[in-house]
Amino acid sequence: MRDTYLWLLQLVTGAIIAVFLAVHMVMMHLDNIVGFFGGHISEPSSWSSMIDRAKEGWWLTFYIIFLALVLYHAIYGLRGIVLEVIPSGRTERVMTGMIWAVGLGAFALGVYASAHLFTR
Amino acid sequence: MRVGSPRENYLGLRGWVWAGRYDIERYLYSLHRITGLGLVLYLFMHLTVMAIVRGILGEGSYDDVIDFFEHPVFKVGEYAVFAAFVYHGLNGLRLIFQELGFLLGKPKPPIYPFRDSLRRRRPLTLGMMGFVVVLAAFVLTDFAKGGP
Amino acid sequence: MDTVKQIRFRIQRYNPEDGAAPRLAEFVVPAPRGMTVLDGLFYIRDNLDSTLAVRSSCRMAICGSCAMLINDFPHLACHTQIAELEADTIEVRPLPNFTIIKDLVVDLTPLFEKHTTTKPYFIRSEVEEMENPTAEFLQTPEDLDAYLQFSYCIKCGLCMAACPTVATDRLFLGPQALAQCYRYCGDSRDDGANERFPTVDREHGMWGCHLAGACSEACPKGVDPALAIQLLKRLRVSRALGLGRKRRPTPLASPPTARQPKLPVPEFTVKVNGKPS
Repeated sequence: MRDTYLWLLQLVTGAIIAVFLAVHMVMMHLDNIVGFFGGHISEPSSWSSMIDRAKEGWWLTFYIIFLALVLYHAIYGLRGIVLEVIPSGRTERVMTGMIWAVGLGAFALGVYASAHLFTR
Repeated sequence: MRVGSPRENYLGLRGWVWAGRYDIERYLYSLHRITGLGLVLYLFMHLTVMAIVRGILGEGSYDDVIDFFEHPVFKVGEYAVFAAFVYHGLNGLRLIFQELGFLLGKPKPPIYPFRDSLRRRRPLTLGMMGFVVVLAAFVLTDFAKGGP
Repeated sequence: MDTVKQIRFRIQRYNPEDGAAPRLAEFVVPAPRGMTVLDGLFYIRDNLDSTLAVRSSCRMAICGSCAMLINDFPHLACHTQIAELEADTIEVRPLPNFTIIKDLVVDLTPLFEKHTTTKPYFIRSEVEEMENPTAEFLQTPEDLDAYLQFSYCIKCGLCMAACPTVATDRLFLGPQALAQCYRYCGDSRDDGANERFPTVDREHGMWGCHLAGACSEACPKGVDPALAIQLLKRLRVSRALGLGRKRRPTPLASPPTARQPKLPVPEFTVKVNGKPS
């Protein structure tokens, strides 16, 4: 039962990431496409531009949700591969522990870094 | 009774690269795995670098790091990440529908020569791959022109 | 015009008694048009090397015994013409993803055990009827089409050899077991889906399938196990989310109530030479 929901969540996060990551990539790299949509970002990877985004509530929310989705999708995928290549009951327990540690750790680090910049 | 020793014969991880003379869908699965692993690797590097450099080290180091990654070798890597994302994302969208049982057609009583549901949906798969190639080529021109 | 080509067979040999690494042995077989790979193996066993171990039975692609890897693709040897391979050298190896007992004979026990765990039989609440059947269960032609394709499985194991997940995960149930699980869950006469789900609703069950489709490609009977597994996923997801119509299993056919009325024509007997024959 639980496995069904975990798998469904993989599909949902995958579909949403397809959109979010496209937005992220376009914004970071394809200035002409952003210009086509009426926006204007110069040097999106420069410090000043990054700080401006880090201070906006919308961008902060976007990045935090994005981080959560990506971490879930990536870690579920890795878990599937590891359980397939090293199949055993013990693997499942070890993996579950590592997943919570790495997943929550990475998410916490991301939120901390973002909040740190937001409140500078 | 003489006892013999049976021999293990699993194809194993070798099958991700070459499994036999199968159709393209079998290798699209392999490529989906490989691009997924590549993206995960990039993800953890990216998150680590960004969190440490932005959150902890500050402006000077940030600009140095960004300039360091402007080297052509890293640009090629960046394009590879983008291409991997385009493939993984579009193939993933196809998998979302097909693994839920949609876009595969109905069960048909088998009449020789057999065409299974994935082969019958080959045009859809080829269309998806065509879209991948078009997007990747379009962005390649952007990268080749010196990029952002 | 019967041109006889000299075909080179390279067969993987393995002798369990000495346990040496498997090696390829070469034989040259005269192959007239129409000769199958199994015929070639019989020729080798009869004339060239009688120690070759090969499984076969029906030689007409219905028993599933002669499954093996022929020129890097899983085939039934009896069902594969030498001419269709379009090569002068034919490499025959035992089926991958199963342990080799000797030469081309593999241990299919995991296939049958995994199949059994998915409860491939009808499960209904009418236990008395299951034990002592009195009549048939009704089924419309549309209900039949929903699972008929998957009932043609001959349990040959070619799909298990083709599946990339079976290749890496020995706990994975495999396309055969999962497709046969759907053959029963998707049958309108069956009511046992909830009993089967605990076995298949796991990472080593249906969620280990990632739609490589190699199983359907290899299947010699056109069963399309890949489609069956995705339909099983759809069934599981719709039950888990509470979507879709709740299908009740079809009822028992009622016993005939009265004899058919006689047709309104007189009884007649055939007469020969004026006398009833």
